[in-house]
Amino acid sequence: MGAVASAFRRKMLTAVMVLALPALTFAQFGHPLKGQWSGEWGPKDNASRLLLDIHWDGKELSGRINPGTPTEGAFKKVTIDYSPVTSWKVQIEGEVKDGGKVVPVRVDGTLENIGAYYRVLHGTWTQGGRKGEFTVTRN
Amino acid sequence: MINSLRAALVCAAAAAVFAPTVWVQASPQQPQATTAAQAAPAQGRGGQGRGRGPQDPTPRLADGTVNFGRVPGEKGTYSVPYITNMADRVVTGPGSTSLVPELQAAVDARAAARGRAGGGGARGGGGGGGRGGSKSEPWMPFMPWSAAVYDYNSRNESKFDPEGYCLPPGGPRMMATPYQMEIIQLPEHKRILMIFEGATHIWREIYMDGREFPKGDQLNPTYLGYSIGRWQDKDTLVVENKGFNENSWLDYFGHPHTDLMEVTERWTRPSKQTLHYEATVNDRGAYTRPFTIAWDIPFNATGELPEYICQENNQYLNRLTDDLGQPIFGPRPQPGVKPGRGTR
Repeated sequence: MGAVASAFRRKMLTAVMVLALPALTFAQFGHPLKGQWSGEWGPKDNASRLLLDIHWDGKELSGRINPGTPTEGAFKKVTIDYSPVTSWKVQIEGEVKDGGKVVPVRVDGTLENIGAYYRVLHGTWTQGGRKGEFTVTRN
Repeated sequence: MINSLRAALVCAAAAAVFAPTVWVQASPQQPQATTAAQAAPAQGRGGQGRGRGPQDPTPRLADGTVNFGRVPGEKGTYSVPYITNMADRVVTGPGSTSLVPELQAAVDARAAARGRAGGGGARGGGGGGGRGGSKSEPWMPFMPWSAAVYDYNSRNESKFDPEGYCLPPGGPRMMATPYQMEIIQLPEHKRILMIFEGATHIWREIYMDGREFPKGDQLNPTYLGYSIGRWQDKDTLVVENKGFNENSWLDYFGHPHTDLMEVTERWTRPSKQTLHYEATVNDRGAYTRPFTIAWDIPFNATGELPEYICQENNQYLNRLTDDLGQPIFGPRPQPGVKPGRGTR
């Protein structure tokens, strides 16, 4: 019995290590906001998917919202308050397509888990006249 | 189908790599940085000064250029120093061995506080920022985001240090990871090979054939970057480096860099016992201007390359949690689920 449990534990641990490998392999330690982020915003029973593609060129952060979809858009301005060392305050202003129209987007977020691969940006997403909570995780 | 096959192969390869490391019976091992920290006192603060005692002449190759490696018929490797904070080694510019004035003042102040003589120039650096974050290193040309990342890494004692996870160091950190290193020059092949015992047992290749850097996407970002060397004169080797990925830190203290980083290295060997290393870091993605760091690397005339495998039985990793209290090796947060609160 002990041997079976031990073998099972070995298999599980190995599986965990294998699953963890990509996170280590593709860790990224440049600008913490750079990269692709995915998640959703709005009420849980009617949430909208979000994909953010954020780029840092050494001068400014640019970003695309839901690229390649009917609701695609782009960042116009990003402001970051770095003073909370472990939870940066991030404001993003931009535009997306919504119902065939271009509407403004405002994001008031908090970036957490800054040093980890799976860092998280969450807060309030305001799009047109709608407002809701959002969470995106770095892919 | 191809993707499935690739995924299966990746999983199989990963299992092959990890399975033995999980089950090999060995004493618990800390991440490399911690191990290095423990090793540092035994090695002294490497890079602080040139070897005492008689200095033998610089070995040379047949064409008169410096032989950075062994003399035929002899042993010898470099004992790379453990430099945890690159900011402690910032000099006034390429070719200089004088610390930048603000750093020198900090070194002197610390020495004075300890009640003994201070100073020491580039060869005696060490004593700059401590773990005071970006504010304690006013000579470092941080951008706001890189200062904030550095402060974050200082606050959590570098728990996310990629080298601690046995990932390779990037850029100058290779020359500051405290294990043996050997340089093998192959002038007939127009290449220089560097073999690092530490830094996860890696090697580096420097092209000496006059080539140019690959253009665009051909320059594949890697940990060590793409290195092209040339002789400035018979005493100085200049190595230009580009194409770094963003998977590493500049040092254990957590100075970040981006994939825009370019590094110009200058190597000299003022005596058989010493390699003088200098690197000018130009990262317009993380720092507002270039800065130059320098230190000495002592040659161990009886040294050979032992085996050091960072990956073995690294139980330490299984204890780590991220800022949200989740195991770093655990499942990723689910979209739409508010992050919980965990250990900081």
